[in-house]
Amino acid sequence: MKTIFKRLLLALLFLPTIILAQSTVTGTVTEQATALPIPTVNVIIKDTSRGTATDFDGNYTLEVENGDVLVFSYIGYLSQEITYNGQSKIDVSLVEDAAQLEEVVIIGYGSVKKEDLTGSVDLVTSKDFNKGNIVSTDQLLQGKAAGVRITNDGGSPDSNPNIRIRGSASLNASNSPLIVIDGVPLGNQNPAGNSNPLSLVNPNDVESFTILKDASATAIYGARASNGVIIITTKKGTSGAPKYNFSTDTTVSNGGNDLDIMDSENYVRFINQYFPDKVELLGVPVGSVQTDQPISQIITTPSGDRAIYDTDWRENILRTAITSNTNFGVNAFLFDLLPMRASVGYTNAKGIVIEDDYERFTGSLNLSPKFFDNNLKVNLNSKLVYAEKNAIDAGGILGNAIGFNPTQPIYNNAPDNRFGGYFQNTIVEGNNLITDGQINPLSLAEQRDRPESVKRFLGNIELDYTLPFFPDLKIVTNLGLDASKSNIEERFSDNSVQTYRFDQTNSDIDSNFVFNPGVNYRETQTITNTTFDLYTQYRKEFETGFLNNFDVQVGYSYQNFKTDGIKQIFNYNVDSGLREETVNPDNLNNRYFNEYNLQSFFARSNINLNNKYLLTFSVRADASSLFVSDDIWDSDVWGFFPAAALAWKVKEEKFLKDMASINDLKLRLGVGQTGQNDITGAVGFYPSTPFFQAGNANSQYFPNSSLYAALPFNPNLTWEKTTTYNAGLDFNFFKNGLINGAFDIYRRETTDLLAKAPVPAGQGLTNEFIDNIGSSESKGFELNLNLRPIVTETVELSFSGNVGYNKTEITDLEGADFLEAGGNLRGTGTTLLYHKVGLQASSAWVLKQVYDTAGNPIPGAFVDLNGDNEIDNDDRYFEQIAPNWTYGFGFNFNYKNWDFSSGFRGQVGGHVYNQTKLNFGFTESAIPQNASSLTNVLNFYTGAANPAFTDYSNQNVVYSDFFLEDATFLRCDNITLGKRFDNMIKDASIRFYASVSNAFIITDYSGQDPENFGGIDGSFYPRPRSFTFGLNLDF
Amino acid sequence: MKKITLIFASLFLLIGSSCVNDLETKPKVNLSLEDLLASDPNAIEGILAKLYASYALTGTDGPGSADISAQDPGESGFLRAILNLQDFTADGMKNRWGDGGLDPLTTASNWTDNNKFFRLFYDRAYYTIPQCNNLISILNNNTFENSDAIKAEARVLRALSYFYIIDTFGRGVLATEENLGQTTPLPESSRIELFNYVESELLDIEGVLPDRISYGRVNRFVSSMLLAKLYLNAEIYTGTPRYNDAVIQLEKIINEGGYTLDPNFVQVFSGDNDSSPEIIFPILADPVSNQSYGNTTYIVNGNMNSATMPTLDFGNLGGVFAWAGHRATKSWYGLFGNSAAELANASDRRAGLFWTDGHSFEMNDYREWTDGFPSTKFRNSGANSTISASEFSGTDFPLYRLADVYLMYAECALRGATNANMADALTYVNLVRNRAVATPITSGELTLDFIIDERARELNLEGHRRTDLIRFNRFTGSSYIWSWKGGTFSGSAIPESYKLFPIPISALNSNPNLQQNPGF
Repeated sequence: MKTIFKRLLLALLFLPTIILAQSTVTGTVTEQATALPIPTVNVIIKDTSRGTATDFDGNYTLEVENGDVLVFSYIGYLSQEITYNGQSKIDVSLVEDAAQLEEVVIIGYGSVKKEDLTGSVDLVTSKDFNKGNIVSTDQLLQGKAAGVRITNDGGSPDSNPNIRIRGSASLNASNSPLIVIDGVPLGNQNPAGNSNPLSLVNPNDVESFTILKDASATAIYGARASNGVIIITTKKGTSGAPKYNFSTDTTVSNGGNDLDIMDSENYVRFINQYFPDKVELLGVPVGSVQTDQPISQIITTPSGDRAIYDTDWRENILRTAITSNTNFGVNAFLFDLLPMRASVGYTNAKGIVIEDDYERFTGSLNLSPKFFDNNLKVNLNSKLVYAEKNAIDAGGILGNAIGFNPTQPIYNNAPDNRFGGYFQNTIVEGNNLITDGQINPLSLAEQRDRPESVKRFLGNIELDYTLPFFPDLKIVTNLGLDASKSNIEERFSDNSVQTYRFDQTNSDIDSNFVFNPGVNYRETQTITNTTFDLYTQYRKEFETGFLNNFDVQVGYSYQNFKTDGIKQIFNYNVDSGLREETVNPDNLNNRYFNEYNLQSFFARSNINLNNKYLLTFSVRADASSLFVSDDIWDSDVWGFFPAAALAWKVKEEKFLKDMASINDLKLRLGVGQTGQNDITGAVGFYPSTPFFQAGNANSQYFPNSSLYAALPFNPNLTWEKTTTYNAGLDFNFFKNGLINGAFDIYRRETTDLLAKAPVPAGQGLTNEFIDNIGSSESKGFELNLNLRPIVTETVELSFSGNVGYNKTEITDLEGADFLEAGGNLRGTGTTLLYHKVGLQASSAWVLKQVYDTAGNPIPGAFVDLNGDNEIDNDDRYFEQIAPNWTYGFGFNFNYKNWDFSSGFRGQVGGHVYNQTKLNFGFTESAIPQNASSLTNVLNFYTGAANPAFTDYSNQNVVYSDFFLEDATFLRCDNITLGKRFDNMIKDASIRFYASVSNAFIITDYSGQDPENFGGIDGSFYPRPRSFTFGLNLDF
Repeated sequence: MKKITLIFASLFLLIGSSCVNDLETKPKVNLSLEDLLASDPNAIEGILAKLYASYALTGTDGPGSADISAQDPGESGFLRAILNLQDFTADGMKNRWGDGGLDPLTTASNWTDNNKFFRLFYDRAYYTIPQCNNLISILNNNTFENSDAIKAEARVLRALSYFYIIDTFGRGVLATEENLGQTTPLPESSRIELFNYVESELLDIEGVLPDRISYGRVNRFVSSMLLAKLYLNAEIYTGTPRYNDAVIQLEKIINEGGYTLDPNFVQVFSGDNDSSPEIIFPILADPVSNQSYGNTTYIVNGNMNSATMPTLDFGNLGGVFAWAGHRATKSWYGLFGNSAAELANASDRRAGLFWTDGHSFEMNDYREWTDGFPSTKFRNSGANSTISASEFSGTDFPLYRLADVYLMYAECALRGATNANMADALTYVNLVRNRAVATPITSGELTLDFIIDERARELNLEGHRRTDLIRFNRFTGSSYIWSWKGGTFSGSAIPESYKLFPIPISALNSNPNLQQNPGF
C-alpha cells in the first residue's frame, strides 16, 4: 500500500505545465428571462482547464485564442458554447433549464447526473441547509431529508447525533449509516474525546449531502451500507478569478425554564406539610455558613433556628452561552492551472451548562487540477482539525442541580468549610466527616477539569485517468487517510469534593482528611484509518440505435481501521486516602488495540436505452476481519451483495414529451442486498477467534500470580443481510418547477440478524454471545415535495417538505420470544426496553396504570390484563419508543435583496419515558434512603408531580405506563432573516442575517424534551434556544 | 483490448493478494494461547487463577465488568448468587431491596423461570464449567510441568459448579472437555447422572491432589469435603442414602487435614481470616487487587447502614458504601434468645453478632430496614490486626471450614452411619460450642433437631441453609414455617416443587433438550 502511494505522489510532481500567449475578450452574462446579470458563471475554454467566472455584475475577462470555444455554464441553466473569432466582446444570456436537473450527484465510486439516477437518492445542497446556530455538520441536515431522523443526545456543542435512515434494522449490530466524507469512509469508532464525528468537519466547508437510501444506491458500498449512506462533499476549487468568502456569526443561547422543581419557599411549605419531622434539615443552622447570599427567612425547628436560603440550583449551573464562528475561504485558479479552495475556520462554542466549553480550529485545502488534456483529473482534499473541549460530567451536574435542597446556600466561606468554599451537606460517621446526599453541582463543574482534545487529519487523493489511446476506458484510484490523536486528562483542583478521602491511620476528625488535587486520569489514543479504492470504467456511447450508452465498472476497495490507546488509571489507597497509580503488571499502560479490516471487489454497469430506460446492475463481494476465524477465504467471511435497478424516464415518451406542464417524470424500481458486520459495539473487534484477556489490576485472584480469562468467541459468525425493494417516482410539474419532488415506497427484509442471544448453557465461554439469529422487516414510504408558487424578477417563494413513514418489526428471534435491550430505570435490573418478535426493536414493556374516575392515577394500581388476579410480568404490554412518522418542512422567501426562511421538523407517535418524574415525582423522593439530607422534588403544588405518588414501595411502579408519554412534537428549528448589499463595498456582496434556532416546540409531553433517542428522559442536557447574528462577505 | 484487460486483471490480483492478508487482524493486548504460552512461563497458572476467580469476581476488567450478561455486573458473582438463593430463600436472612426478582427469593414465593437471579446463578455455574473444560483440554493437548495436579484442581472446581447445579436446579447438560466447542445443544443429564459424574470425577483424582498447595488453592481435603457434601445430601439427590461414604471423607479431613477450630469465632469472618487455621476452602477477596460486588463485599456492605450503625467499626465506609439491604430474622437470632437484651446477655459469642440498636426483633415488614437485626458476623475489620475500612471487602469467604465438618459428622452419626460413633459426634459438636462459649450439650441433647438449629447458629449466612432445610424436610410444605415464607408475614406452606429452582427461560430457549422442573 505504502509504495503505491509514494509512487503516485512522485508522478504528481513531474506533471508538466503549459502556458501559452493569448488575446483578451470581455463580456457580460445575463439571465434571458430577467436580463439581470448572473455572477459566478463559469466561463471555460472548451477542452482546457482555462477559464474564469463572472463577477457580481455578470462581467468577465478572459485570455483567448482564435478558434477557442467558450463554454458558459451555471447550475440550473443550460450551457452555451460560442467560438471566439476575434470578437472584443461576447455577451451571453443564459436560459434557465426548466427541469433544473443538471445537478451532478456523487454516488459511490463515481457520479451521475441527477436525471440519470436509478436509486433512491436525496441531495441536500447548501441552499437547503439549516441556518442559525450550527456547530456540527449534522445540524445542517436535520429535518431536511425524508426518512432521515437525526436525534442528538442534548444541547451540548459536541453531542452525539444518532442518525437513522429508514429506522433501525439491526439489533446488536450498528444502526448508524455509513458516512463518507470526500471519498473517505469514516470509521465506526469516534476518536476518544469526541462524541460527534461530524463536529470534526467545518460545516462551512460542506457543499452537499447525498443520502443513498435504497439498496440499489447503497449496494455499491456493500459492507456497512445496510443503514444507508451519507456522502458529504465539501466545496471544491473552481477556475476563474480568485473569490474570497468571509463569514462570521455570534450566537447567544439560553436554556429554557423547562423543569418545574420546587423553589425555596414552596419547598419549606412542602417539607412542613409532608415531612414535618424533617424540618430541621431545611436550610442550615443559623450562623453556620458565611456567604454573601441573602437569607430569605429564618425558621424555628426543634433542633434550633435554621437559616433558609433561596437557591435556584438549575439557574446557577445553566448560563447564557455565547458561541462564535469565523470562517475564511478562498477560491483561486493558481497558475491558470490549479483550481484551489482553501479555508480556515474557528469556532468557540459554549454549552449552556457551565464549564461546557468547546473550541475548534479547522483548515481545509482542495486542489483539483487536470493534466494531459484533461485525461488525468486529480482531486486532493485535506482537512485538519483541532478540537478541544472541557468534558463536564453533565449528567451528574444536571442531576444534582435538580436534587439539591433549594433552601441551602451555594457557597460557604466559613473557616471550617473544607470544600473550597462550596457548601456541601456533611454528617459525622465514626471519626469521619463525610459528605451526604446530593453533591453541590457547581463544585462538580468547577472543581474538575477534563480537557479532551483531538487532532485529526482527513484527506484523500483521487486520480481519474482516461487512457489517451483508448478514451472509453478510465482508471480511478483513491487513497484516503483519516488519522487522529486524542488526549484526555482529568484533573481536580484543590479541595475538590470528589477527591475527598480519609487517612484511616488518624482518628482525629479535624485532621484525618485528605484532598487529592491533580491528575486523576489520562488517556492517549491514535486512530489510523486507511482507504484505498481502485476501479476501472469502460464507457461507450452510441450516436444511433436503441442502446444509447453503457458503462461497466470493476473495482477493488480496501479499508483498515486501527485504534491504539493507553490509559493511566488511579485508585485511592484505603489506608492513607491518597491517590496512587493502579499498576497492572500484565498490561502496564492499560493499552487497548483494535484493528478492523474490510475488503471488497465490486462491479457495476449502467445502461441507457433510448434515453428512456436506465438500468443499473451491481454486485459486490465483501470480506470482514470480524468474521475471520482461521481462514480468510472461508465462506462466512465473504458476503455477496447484488443489486439491480430500472428507471423509466416517462417524460421522454412521445405522449409526454411535448406536454409543457410536465418537466420531468421518472419511475424507479430497485432491488438489492446489502450487508452489515459492525458488531464491535457489542462484542469488540475479534469476535470469531479465541483469545485470552489478562485480568486488570482490580481483577486478580492469587497474590503475585497473573490471571487470564478465555474470552468467548463464535467462529460461525457471518454477514447480516438486508434486501430492499424500492419503487420511486420523481416528478417536476408546471412552469419553473412549481411542484416537484419524489415519492418512494419500500420494503426491507433483514435476515441473519446479528444479535446477542443465549448460548446453550455450558457450551460457550459465556452465557450470551452474538450470533446470526432472527430476522426483521421494515415497510415505509417517503415523500419529498417542493413548491415554487412565486418566481418573479423580484420575489421568489418556495416551500419544501418531507415526510417519512417507517415501521420495522422483528419477525423472528429463532425461538426466543424476546431479548433484553437495555434502558435501566431505577435500582438494578429494572429494564424498560426489549426486542420482541412482532414488534419494533427496543420497545418499552410496561404495566397499564389504573386511574380513578377523576382521571388521577392510583399509584401502584395496574390493570390485570390477563385476568389472573395477580399483577406480574404477564400483565405487561409493549409500546414502541421510536416513532413511525417523521417530517420536516420549511419555506424560503426572497424579495429583492431580502431573504426570509424557516425550517420545522418533528415526529408523530413514539414514546418517551419521563424518568425525572419517576426519580423526583414521589413525595418520598425528598427523603432518600441512603442519606440523611433532603432532596428537591418536582413541584407538587403546580401539577408537575402528583402527591398521590408517595413512595416506591410497589416494585412495579417503575413499569407504569403513566411515566411513558407520547413523544409527538413539532419543533421550529430556525427562522432566519437576511439582507444582501451588493454595493456597500466595491466588488463585494455582503449579507447580514439574524436567526433564531429552536424557536419553539409544540408537544403534549409533560417532561423536559420529547425528542429523545434512547426513550428515557432523565438529567437531560437542555437544547438551548439560540439567537444568531452573522454576516457573510463575498469578494 | 485484451492486453488492457489482462493488465488490469493482473493489477487487481496483485493488490488483492497482497492486501487480503490484512483481514487477519490481531489484538496485541489480548493473546492467543500460543502467544500467551510463549510470553508467560506461568500462563497455565494464570488460566487456572481465572477458574478460582470465577467464584469470587464478576469479570476480568474490574468490579464493573461481568463474565456473563448482567445489567448490573455486580449481581453476576457466584457468592452473591449463593447468598441470594441459599440464605434469603430460607429462614434466617432477608433482603429488603426487592428489585427485579429479589422479593420472590426473600419470600420463597412466586418463583418464575424469568427471575434473573435464577439465571445469574445458573449462568455463572455454566460459565465456570466451560472455562474449566477449556483449561483441561489445553492440558490434555500440551505437555506442561505439573500438568496432572493442575488438571485435578480444575476438575475439582468444575465438580464444585456441578454440585451446585445438582443442588439447586437438579438437572442440566454435562459439558466436559470431551464436547468442548460443540455447538449443537447437548442432551440433558438427570440429577443422578450428574451426581454420578461428580462422584466419579472426585474419586478419580483423589490420589493426584496434594495435602496443601498454597492458601486458597484446592487440595485433597477440599475434594473430600465436596464429596462429603454430595454424600450427605445423596438421599435428596438420588434417593439413596450415602452417610457411610460421607463419614469416610469427613474422617480424612478430621484426621489427616491438620485443620483446627479458630479459637476466635469472629476471626473466621474478619478481614484477617486468611490466617485462620479453620478454613479448608476460602473464596478470596482483596480490597484492591480482588474487587467484586459479588463476594464478601455483598455480605458486609449489604448488612450495613449508616442510619442505624457505626459502620466504620466493621471496616465499612458508610454512606453509599453501606447498602442497607440484609437483616437476619428471629429464626436465626431467636435461637439465642427472645429479645435484644437476651442476645446481649447470652454467653454464646455467636449471639452477639447482630446489630440490635434501633432495630426491632420482629420483622413485621421485610422491606423496612429497621425490622430485624443486621448480621455483623461478616465484617471487613480485622479480628487480631488493624484493617482500614474500604469500599470493597478484603474478607475471604470460608466456603468450607472445620466446624461444618464436625457438624456434618454428627449428623451422619445421627442418621445412622455405621462407621461413625456417637461419642466422637458429641465431642465434635461440643468443640464447636465450646469455641463459641456456648454451653456444651449432653449426649441426650444430641438429636437431628438440635443439629439443624446448631447449623443455623454456626453456619447461617454461609450459603448452606436452604440445602440444610431441604435435607431436614423443613423447607417446603408446612412442617416448618417462618416469617415471610410463602409471601406472608406469618408464613405459609410452599409447594414441594420449591425444592428445586425453575430452569431459567433463557436456558430452555437456547437448548430444546432441556426440560423445566415440575411445578414451574
